[in-house]
Order: sequence, then structure tokens, then C-alpha cells
Amino acid sequence: MDSGSFSARGTCSVHPWRVYFHHVAMFRLQGSKVLAVDMTGDAVKAKNGSMVAYDGEMAFKKLSGGGEGIRGMVTRRITGEQMTVMEVKGHGTCWFADRASEINLVGLQGDKLYVESSNFLAADAGLRTGTSFTGTRGASQGNGLFTTTIEGHGQAAIMSDGPAVVLRVSAQYPLTVDPGAYVAHQGNLRQSFQSGVTFRTLFGEGGGEAFQIRFEGDGLVYVQPSERNTIAGDV
Amino acid sequence: MAFEEINSKMVRATVAPGQRLFSQRGAMLAYRGEVSFTPNLRGGQGGVMSMIGRRVANEDTPLMTVEGSGTVFFGHGGHHVQVINLSGDTLYVEADRLLAFEGTLEQSTVFLGSQGGVMGMVRGQVSGQGLFTTSLKGHGSVAVMAHGGVFEVPITPQRPVRVDPQAYVAHHGDVRNKLSTALGWRDMVGRGSGEAFQLELSGSGTVFVQASEEKL
Repeated sequence: MDSGSFSARGTCSVHPWRVYFHHVAMFRLQGSKVLAVDMTGDAVKAKNGSMVAYDGEMAFKKLSGGGEGIRGMVTRRITGEQMTVMEVKGHGTCWFADRASEINLVGLQGDKLYVESSNFLAADAGLRTGTSFTGTRGASQGNGLFTTTIEGHGQAAIMSDGPAVVLRVSAQYPLTVDPGAYVAHQGNLRQSFQSGVTFRTLFGEGGGEAFQIRFEGDGLVYVQPSERNTIAGDV
Repeated sequence: MAFEEINSKMVRATVAPGQRLFSQRGAMLAYRGEVSFTPNLRGGQGGVMSMIGRRVANEDTPLMTVEGSGTVFFGHGGHHVQVINLSGDTLYVEADRLLAFEGTLEQSTVFLGSQGGVMGMVRGQVSGQGLFTTSLKGHGSVAVMAHGGVFEVPITPQRPVRVDPQAYVAHHGDVRNKLSTALGWRDMVGRGSGEAFQLELSGSGTVFVQASEEKL
């Protein structure tokens, strides 16, 4: 994760800075499984219940996923997006962790990060969060048809089961990933769903890789060394 | 030091004649030399009265006595292991999180209700830790288990620390604890932030917190 993460085709991938200085809340990793956020009166959004400790004064308030306002509420109802987020505001240091998952910091400079809702841990409160339609991919991932988007300038923290690798996708090098191992992506990417279902799969002789997501364009894809239980994994 | 961390999930202990170790029963992974493991019916140190105390307090995790000369490897359930060295101070830890500790440490059971009154009792119920906890006092080292590794947060009189009760592992030093609630109407209508109960630790010392909300 630190230095040597390589893409499948041998080009070295770029990893975002571990420690990122920003005028608002400062995110830093304490080990690989604990996120410490130093706050001076500003706020962060974090997964509900992910606080493990804090000093100073903090207030916790539940927000709901899918964006703000009435529109967000309607979106949530329709999409069934289950991201529950809280807003943490105060002075001091707050530590976040969730089920001993590995944490990856992502720096956003105006671009958009797409992340599986279950993999979202925290983000600067200044970043806009929303819901987006993922097409048929969601069903095969067992995560529903929608993912969370994070957009703006600032820091976000995403979780993975085991240390994630960051793979670069460029025009010459498209990337195909297992839907169960996909965590997040950012940049200008087009995704398409591939199915390798053949007559063998129907007879229960499939290779276990019947469904894949293909990324084309220019950007980064975060992949975890573990596969969620998916329909795709069974065929 | 009796314990040496081999990797994040395993410790090596050196046993010499005349030195005893206590460990959770079944936590031995391998050993070298002449070492004997005796199940400790009394569940630790002290006489029969201590045993009854522990039974009543539900802090009677089965322990075994490790004696002889050699090296023993301990680990349990793939949990992360943290070695904490004590020099005269007291460590408070749940009995089921104890992997092993040196026989030089004095083990006893503490009633948490006496610290913080009624809220102390509620604390035990909420955090699922019961009303009692185990304390270890003296000079020696302790191996404590946690899910996902632990990190230390220092507690100073100016900066009390609040911990998620499920993520709390252990603490030492001159620390008072109380359960603070941040229950609002939002929690009542099921729109809580999931952080309604917090364990407030004030004084001076250190608290060990794990990177997970999972109890062992």
C-alpha cells in the first residue's frame, strides 16, 4: 500500500498522499485501521456509529445518505440506498474505526469519487455526497443498484477488507475487476458490465468469474484483496 | 520482560523456574522446553474466597498456570495481542480479554458500580461488560487481546477522553470512569447517530482502544 502497488499491466500506480494538509479537518491514519481527525470547530461526515474515541468536545448528529433536502429524501426512498451518516462537529481529536477494516485516504481536487456505501467511512463536511445509479452491476455485487458519490475539494476515507490496491486506468490500459473486490473509483471513467456466462456456467462448471466490471477512460480504481459474497461469485 | 510480541497476533513468553505465568486456558500455541500447564480451578490467584468472588462477578474466565523452564507461544482466535508493561500501577481489563499475565501481578475483581454509582452499573450493562472488571496490580507485563489492534490515547486532567464502550479494551493510571449519555429525541425516534453512550475517562493515565466495535 505504501510504495509498491502495481497495476495488472505493470504500470506503477499513483497513491494519494497519506497525510493531506487542508484548511479544514485534518485526516491522518493511526496504523492502518484507525482514522484520527483533528478538528477545530469544523465538521466531518462519518459512517453512523464508527467513532471509537474522542477527546475535547464533540457533538454527533445523524444525517441521511442520498444528498441533502427533500430531493435527497426522495432519492433515498426510491433507491433504497442504506448509507447512514452522522455529522461530527467540535474541537479536539476524534478516532474512527469500523470492524477492523483497513482504511484508505483519498484526496479529492474537484473530482468525484464513487464508493460502495458499505465502504464509506468519513469525509470532510464540505464534500457533497449523493447517490448514483450503477446499472446492473449493483445486483451482482449484492449491494443494491446504487452507490455513493463524494464530490468536491477535501479528504475522504474509505474502507476495504484487507489493504486495497489502487490501479490506474488510462486510455491504452482499460481494467476489468471482480464485482466483489471492487471498492471505489475516481476520475473520468466509463464502466460497463461484462458477463462471461456460457453453457458451462449453466451446467455448474463455471470458472467462478462469470461477471466482471470493465473500466475505460482515465482514473483510479480501488480494489480489495477479498471478495464480498455475490451472486457472481457463485457462478 | 516476560512477553515478546512476535507478530501482531502472537506473543512469546519465557518461563523460568520459580516464575509463574497465568494464561487463558487453551491459548497456548506451541512451547519449547519443560513446561507444564495446569488448569487453574480457582481461575487465578487468591484463595477460595477470591474464586467465589470471581464466579459471582462472572469474571471467571478459565485460566491455567504455566510453570517450568522454556518458551511458550500464546495466541487466541486470531485476535490482535498487545503487551502492556506495568510498573507498580493498576491495569483494569475485562477477564475475557486477558490472554496471559505474569504471576508477579496481583489479580483482583473490582466492582464497577462503586465507581460512578448507578451509572456505573448501567455502564456495565450497556457496554456488555458486566458490573465487574478484573484489575492487575504490581510489576510485570500483561498480554491483552483486541479485535483489529489497539491504539493508546493518553488521558490528562485537562483532556478527558470519551470512548465507545464497545471499542474500550483496558485502561491504567489514576482514572475515573463514568458512562455519559448523549441521548436526545433523535435516538428515541430511531434517528440516533449510534453514539448515544460513551465511556468518559478522566484523570491521568492511558486508555487502550481497539479498531473495531466488536466484543470478543
